[in-house]
Amino acid sequence: MRDMWDYLRLEVRRTLRDTGFVIGGIAMPVMMYLLFTNIGDSNDADWRTASMVGMAAYGAVGSALNTGGGVAEDRALGWLRQLRVTPITPRRVVAGRALTGSVTVLPAICVVLLAGGLVNGVRLEVWQWALTALLLWLGSIPFTLLGLGNGYGLTAQTAGVANMVCNLGLAVLGGLWFPVALFPHWLRSVSAYTPTNRFAQLGVSVTQGHAPAASAILVLSVWLPAFGSYAVLSYRRNAGTV
Amino acid sequence: MTRTPRAVSFTGAAKTFGDVCAVDGVTLEIERGETVALLGRNGAGKSTAISLLLGLNAPDAGTVELFGAPPEQAVRAGLVGAMLQEARAVPRLTVRELVAFVAGRYPDPLPLARVLDLAGITELAARRVDRLSGGQTQRVRFAVALAGNPSLLVLDEPTAALDVEARRAFWDSMRAYARGGRTVLFSTHYLEEADAYADRILVLDRGRIVADGTGEELRHAAGGSLVAFDLAGRGTAGLELLPGVRSVEVRGDRARLRTDDSDATVIALAGLGAIRGLQVAPASLDEAFLALTGAPHERETV
Repeated sequence: MRDMWDYLRLEVRRTLRDTGFVIGGIAMPVMMYLLFTNIGDSNDADWRTASMVGMAAYGAVGSALNTGGGVAEDRALGWLRQLRVTPITPRRVVAGRALTGSVTVLPAICVVLLAGGLVNGVRLEVWQWALTALLLWLGSIPFTLLGLGNGYGLTAQTAGVANMVCNLGLAVLGGLWFPVALFPHWLRSVSAYTPTNRFAQLGVSVTQGHAPAASAILVLSVWLPAFGSYAVLSYRRNAGTV
Repeated sequence: MTRTPRAVSFTGAAKTFGDVCAVDGVTLEIERGETVALLGRNGAGKSTAISLLLGLNAPDAGTVELFGAPPEQAVRAGLVGAMLQEARAVPRLTVRELVAFVAGRYPDPLPLARVLDLAGITELAARRVDRLSGGQTQRVRFAVALAGNPSLLVLDEPTAALDVEARRAFWDSMRAYARGGRTVLFSTHYLEEADAYADRILVLDRGRIVADGTGEELRHAAGGSLVAFDLAGRGTAGLELLPGVRSVEVRGDRARLRTDDSDATVIALAGLGAIRGLQVAPASLDEAFLALTGAPHERETV
């Protein structure tokens, strides 16, 4: 087990030293949050809260996908190959990577929630803050798996593009940037099936003081195994080449 | 009585990529404590042989064993350290962090200070790996290979990016490490390196082992010596029939005879009166290598 924890620490350290990650995965969501909730006539407490959850989710999705980008980069560098000629087992390397994703999503979630509470005056009960953060954290797991699927399955350049498309596409489509209510009707019905929309919904329902809708749980419980299988298949297909 | 298993053992190992047979039925054994060079031109199959040895690829046919076990098992047990050819620097880590992490994976690693000292990177310990020069990166990769104190050290073209001075320093470090009874296998396309630093040279050509022995033995196997003299207008007919002569080559007005028995050849030439400008020289390892691999003469500049 020490292998895996040491590997996790090593990779978290590498991720946090990545300027691209710090800007794109942490600074961007919080800046967008503050911008979108403070321009024009947006003195709307509900929107400040909903956008806080949306942008925290957006940051979490970006950070989760970034883990996969790291995998693709490490494959190209030969780092994963080098690890294969040390005693650490490939299984622990994969597990360590997945855990890296679950650690590196935390800064984005925390920073955006802090901005909501301290800058935008979002008021919630303590348990609501805690549960929102927890659900955003757990809800990011499918996106880490999606990122790992891209990272193991695609080349470094393609994985970078795929992650960006997934990140922006799912964020916009899922209503993380703009309220779904602004969408035309047909797009709204598509949005309801996206993992990002349901991911944010988990947090939003907590901030509104009620349990997440069963449909949200249902949609996410379809996406989780789908992304999980994608990650496993990509890994298996390329296990011999890393 | 059970025999201690050999460090490396290939039995009819073969690996094909597409329609290229990169390793074509290799059988070889390396005893513990040997320092062996795997010598071959680019594309001879050295890197594939090393991937098979490390368990990074499985052979299509035959078997590969390290210390009597499948390579993966020996790797998991911490018996193997490797410097891979294509690996680049791992970004956003310091030298110390990287080497300490790898050392920590092995059951009985070398002390960190000793690793850094052996690789000559003590003063680089706090530097980030991705901000080092090519030669420094190469030394860090060497440190990564030996950090775990492995019984078998595998180095795939370890000096490719180094200048002459750095090369010498590198080989000194390698020897210091090998001295403790460890087994070292390195691949190279530099004959001088193979000759100077290995106990034994395996010559790989087109996926096959074409020679196996010390530098001296390879020189001999390729046709002991070279006898040259001025033809001074005479023909070359019959020269190839002289005692010991294997081949005859004419360059300008000089005949160059490759011979197994230079004494007999010279006496026979003296009998013919063909001794103007006579020279006898041992075959160089270069010539031995070319004779073994049948390659055109294209030496790499060191």
